[in-house]
Amino acid sequence: MKMLQCVLGLSVATAVLAGADAGNYVESYDTIYNSLTIERNGSVVELRARSRRGEALESAVDLNDPLKLMVAYTRSLYAGVFFQPKPARVLMIGLGGAGFHRLFSAAYPDALLQSVELDPKVLELCETRLAFKPTAKTPVALTDGRMFVKRDKTQWDWIILDAFRGGFVPPHLKTEEYYRECAARLSDRGVFISNLHSGTELFHSDIKTIKTVFPQVVLFETAGRGNVIACAVKYRTPDMTKPENWGSVENSVAQVLAGRLDLVAIKEELMEIPAKQVAKARLLTDDFSPVEFLDAMKTNNTGPK
Amino acid sequence: MPLIAFYAIVVTLGILSMGFQMLGSRLLSPHFGSAIDVWACLISTFLAAFSLGSMLGGAISNFDPIVRRWSQYACAFAAFGSLLVTAVWGRALLGHIEVGFSSVLLGVLVACLALFFVPVAALSTFSPQCVHYLAQAGVAPGKGSGLVYGVSTLGNIAGVMLTTFVLIPNFRVSTLLYVWLAVAVLNLAALLRLLRTPDLP
Repeated sequence: MKMLQCVLGLSVATAVLAGADAGNYVESYDTIYNSLTIERNGSVVELRARSRRGEALESAVDLNDPLKLMVAYTRSLYAGVFFQPKPARVLMIGLGGAGFHRLFSAAYPDALLQSVELDPKVLELCETRLAFKPTAKTPVALTDGRMFVKRDKTQWDWIILDAFRGGFVPPHLKTEEYYRECAARLSDRGVFISNLHSGTELFHSDIKTIKTVFPQVVLFETAGRGNVIACAVKYRTPDMTKPENWGSVENSVAQVLAGRLDLVAIKEELMEIPAKQVAKARLLTDDFSPVEFLDAMKTNNTGPK
Repeated sequence: MPLIAFYAIVVTLGILSMGFQMLGSRLLSPHFGSAIDVWACLISTFLAAFSLGSMLGGAISNFDPIVRRWSQYACAFAAFGSLLVTAVWGRALLGHIEVGFSSVLLGVLVACLALFFVPVAALSTFSPQCVHYLAQAGVAPGKGSGLVYGVSTLGNIAGVMLTTFVLIPNFRVSTLLYVWLAVAVLNLAALLRLLRTPDLP
């Protein structure tokens, strides 16, 4: 029995104190959905998910400067401001390490930022290690992202899809039907934002599927890690593929973002839709979504540490 | 019928059963997600169907020949009918079940029972009858039982691997459900013919 308890204890949490610097640690957790590593080095805490191809950096926070966006693609998610500069209700599917949340709440203190997370351990780590506390303005629902969208009737100004499980995207969150369900929950001038990974066959199928549902899709390529942020709207005019038609943020918001988010740099991440490859790609539907085989992890934010 | 045909039928029964579980997960996920509770319900439903089907099949193999024959037809018809329902109305049924239950867990359980329990239980009734068939042909019961369940389990493995790595990446789930129906019809027709007279060496 003691042996069993010992094995269970080890499988649930392995904590190794680095020892050199007081307060530094590396902890590993095998949850029912993920293998997670959380590491503190000085004031920076990183959350990583292990997969067969290494560790993907999910999120990071500088505890001395919690508003700082530490992971490049979380900056690119803010491209949503070009399409809907005054989000009052935001739905984020996939909590990660809540790296996006702190700056958003500071910039839009009156906005609702609803998160949906499947893995309870991820929420627990956010609360205990990553200095994120859910509030009435930043609630977290522990459920499947598709179930939430189907059952919740709120109209959202931004819907951000950033859900990964062990490095892979659950197939049912990648289909035309799911994007239609998201579009139905998007306000008229809302924007659907999705974190995609370039360099995979899945990438082109993703874009094709999003374009099937949303008439206008704009891509932003995050430098370095292979992340591409797709912003999609359900209206046809004005032409949002032209930056001159993008909205600008209010001065009060811009002041909060200043120094932490370079909107000009994000504008420069604008990339062309790879039309040829997208035309050849297969549409993902509930009936056909071999997402795992289209190799979602190929250029995930996994990289040498 | 040569021995190899008998084992081909047994392997195909195994493929049909466990390959169907992988298809089932793809059918369920748009409606209920693919979290661990969905898999728990799905696997439990299949195991319950294997259990009930095996017990029922064991009982059928001891019936007198005429009742046994009609029971075999009934099981085959149940398998065809339920696979047909899943192929033709599966998605629509899942849509109704999804909105009909506020509890996701209860919805998944009902969906699994409605779509997967009957076909898998019906297919499972034939394994004990295959053992009975070998016993009638003079194979010792222990050896026959080991052969049938061993070969059938190899079919289970083939079903999981084939469905996961070949079929799902290349074909629509709806198409595969009709393939399952067609293969079940052919396989059970051959098996019913085989079970009529034991002619193995």
